[in-house]
Amino acid sequence: MKVAPMLKGGLRIDVESALDWMVLRCIPYDARGGGLDLADRVSAPMAGDEGMEDWEEFVLPGLRDDFNSQLESIEAALAQAGDGEEPGEIFITREDSELWYGGLNQARLALEERYGFSRGQPEDMTPGKRSAWFRSQFYLHVQSLLLDHVLK
Amino acid sequence: MSDTLIQTVEDVSLDVPWNVIVHDDPVNLMGYVTLVLMKIFGYPENRAAALMMEVHKRGRSIVWTGEREKAEFYTQQLQAHQLKTSMEKTE
Repeated sequence: MKVAPMLKGGLRIDVESALDWMVLRCIPYDARGGGLDLADRVSAPMAGDEGMEDWEEFVLPGLRDDFNSQLESIEAALAQAGDGEEPGEIFITREDSELWYGGLNQARLALEERYGFSRGQPEDMTPGKRSAWFRSQFYLHVQSLLLDHVLK
Repeated sequence: MSDTLIQTVEDVSLDVPWNVIVHDDPVNLMGYVTLVLMKIFGYPENRAAALMMEVHKRGRSIVWTGEREKAEFYTQQLQAHQLKTSMEKTE
């Protein structure tokens, strides 16, 4: 898999194998895994505050919709880009860069929550955890490219 | 028959300002936090970066202070960008 910025803005991902497709399709899968409610997580410092009930009723549902919409857009882009077997290209336009960044962030947050990568070294990890760590590092790499070449 | 005297007393006090606080997170990239603070508050890069460093080093930073409605709006915006955020009355 190759990921690089485009001259006209945005990012291009060259998908070279079925394994590459699998890694990309893990983005929404990882983000939804572990039962993490991201809206609850980002508002966790408000727990117990006066007015938190209103926040839960009026704000958090909108956040959940936004976060889910990011993942659905990524799923749709992947489905449109290829069949999961043959090589293909994915173009992340400047307009879509924030939703891709957000979806990748969701995946990394969920993986960190589930595996706690910051509390261990890759060589000490179980195979499943190490595989998740590599995916998290790949997501981080794409996020860094988006941040440095598209979002800024 | 006695007359009733009605006296109205107005008591006006200023709203207590509210702080918007961003909390540290092991996942969000430092450059992204800086970018979000620039985008939402219109801060110049050096100010946004200084606030981001405070979040990173001290675990939290007051990124804005002002009236409650705006504080709620900014808190919602920051949470929508996946930053752990809360708001509190100033002391």
